[in-house]
Amino acid sequence: MRALRLALAAAGAGLGVLAYQVQIDNLGSLTSPTRALAIVAVAWAFLGAGLIAWARRPENRLGPLLTAAGFALLARQLRYSHDPIVFTVFFALGELSYALAAHSVLAYPSGHVRGRAEWLLVRVGYASMLLFPLAILLVYDGSERLRYMDLRPHESVLVVWEDMGLALALQKAFVFFVWGVLAILFIALVLRRLARATPRARRMLAPLLLAAVVFALRAVYEGIFIVVDRPAAIVDDVLFWWQIAGFIALPIALVAGMLRARLARANVGELVLELERTPPEGMRDALARALGDPGLEVGFWLPERREYVDGRGRLLVLPSEDGERAVTRLDHAGEPIAAIVHDASLVDEPELLQASGAAARLALENARLHADMLAQLAEVQESRVRIVQAADEERRRIERDLHDGAQQRLVALALQLRSGQRQLGEVADPEVSRLLAEAVDELQVAVEELRELARGVHPAILTEDGLAAALESLTSRAPIPVALDVSEGRLPAQVEATAYFVACEALANVVKHANASRATVSARREDGVLVIEVEDDGVGGAHAENGSGLRGLADRVEALGGRLVVESPTGGGTHVVGEIPCAS
Amino acid sequence: MCDDSYMAWTVLVVDDHPAFRASARRLLELDGFEVVGEAGDGATAIRLTRALRPQLVLLDIGLPDRSGFEVAERLSGAPAHVVLISSRARADLGKRVRESGAIGFISKEQLSGEAILALLDRAA
Repeated sequence: MRALRLALAAAGAGLGVLAYQVQIDNLGSLTSPTRALAIVAVAWAFLGAGLIAWARRPENRLGPLLTAAGFALLARQLRYSHDPIVFTVFFALGELSYALAAHSVLAYPSGHVRGRAEWLLVRVGYASMLLFPLAILLVYDGSERLRYMDLRPHESVLVVWEDMGLALALQKAFVFFVWGVLAILFIALVLRRLARATPRARRMLAPLLLAAVVFALRAVYEGIFIVVDRPAAIVDDVLFWWQIAGFIALPIALVAGMLRARLARANVGELVLELERTPPEGMRDALARALGDPGLEVGFWLPERREYVDGRGRLLVLPSEDGERAVTRLDHAGEPIAAIVHDASLVDEPELLQASGAAARLALENARLHADMLAQLAEVQESRVRIVQAADEERRRIERDLHDGAQQRLVALALQLRSGQRQLGEVADPEVSRLLAEAVDELQVAVEELRELARGVHPAILTEDGLAAALESLTSRAPIPVALDVSEGRLPAQVEATAYFVACEALANVVKHANASRATVSARREDGVLVIEVEDDGVGGAHAENGSGLRGLADRVEALGGRLVVESPTGGGTHVVGEIPCAS
Repeated sequence: MCDDSYMAWTVLVVDDHPAFRASARRLLELDGFEVVGEAGDGATAIRLTRALRPQLVLLDIGLPDRSGFEVAERLSGAPAHVVLISSRARADLGKRVRESGAIGFISKEQLSGEAILALLDRAA
């Protein structure tokens, strides 16, 4: 292939010299050496850009298309020859150069034309560029010069019906149809594609805007020649040179855009270096930078769960490929490692995507393990919360059972004993009366103890009236003065229960160990966190680690994503602070 | 063992436990009250209060269809005095006892004619 491309380059160079000479020899005052050279330069720009693209991306048809357009543009100049056969052949085929150029633009950057309208336009374009010149050649009698040609008439070897008027009319129809209708459709399709593209794709499709401008300039230029034989020199010069500049820039821009993926491989090299020092959670950002797609997402495959999670271990549902987003899956030894959800325009840059994926494979594997670990941690965390909820529910059930069962029976028994006392009245043996009175008193103590037990398991007031009421009840029963400052309003049950038990345990410690004269309890919400504080003026010296009560509560607080801090300097009182996330 | 001062009081006993209602009826009657009816839920309590016009409603807080607090609020326009009862302690019920419109609260195991009369005296 390399030899073929070298041969094409040599042929292009030779054909360029010939095209230049044919123009100089035949166009006379209609051209100049500079103009003739500029036209050859346009063709060489297509040819050179095409050959470079062909060499770099052999699988992409854009390179051959641009090369063909370059050759066609050179060959088009041979139609000025006054050799009847050369004129006929290249007049017939020369216009295909613009069809090839338009085809290249519509096939950018993948080499494939996408969209039914685009395909139709390309086919109609080729057909028109071939059939109109052929039709003209069939009726051109050589009695007059043709428009858009040099000043001397030519001789068509294909003429079958000599009608100069028809030939000129066909020329006008050709220009009107190709540069009036097809060119406008072409510009509209190109602009539509730009408008519908994602921001990332739009950056890549910028050369299409240049194409639209260049073809518009050409259309205006061709249109002027329908109206006048020779436009004013200034208009001719301006339009001609802008057109030349545009047509030289167009193939270069197309190939540069197409090869951006290849140039971006430098980014891939940087990506490898960056990934060495990127923590797993930074993988997404590094890939997003390397691929120029800020919205990129990375999903890590968890074989046990058979689902993808993001870098923080959260479930990631891969989106359906809706035209804006696309998914590339990365495998290793047949097993999925990760999936990259990216801008659909990256599909046109498979090399960049694959190279980045390959560079990131090892780091992705590490990140996958990291994400797996985080997902397991998240599961453990969720499981801890479920355990706390289940324990609370079990405590509530026990409290209800005690209340509805044993407590009711003891209450009924107390009333029956009291009824017995009434019925026996003064006739009873004093010893029996005393025993009955003692039994009633004992029963009341038993009921009170059972009530205290039920309250310790899970106070009903907490379930029914919330934390504020429960803390009010708790502090009102304390044997030392306790000031209470609590904000009203209900919170999730496990948050209220955890805060209550923190206060309950801390107050119990105050009473048992602190030798305090007073204490304060406060509960307030701050930025989605419930802060429960218990403070006393006792002897201090308490440690969360020492007492299983506070240690167990610290676990419970941490299970809900919070923390428990105990400050208890010797002689300086004790300050217990629990922070429990409570944002719903 | 009757005290004449109790004789005038007619009572409706409201509790979802039949055994408790029976025990309470027996005790209150022994203490000189006249138990004119029993109700096992809030709706029946409201209906019987209107129908029987008791002077006193002994009202359990934990009823199956609605709380005793709600029933007490519904009865606030009735001439009957409402005394809330529960097997829970007063401290476990918060300020809703105060806000219910009842004249007071008695823990069930401490229920007696004397306890009720003490509340009625305080309310008078």
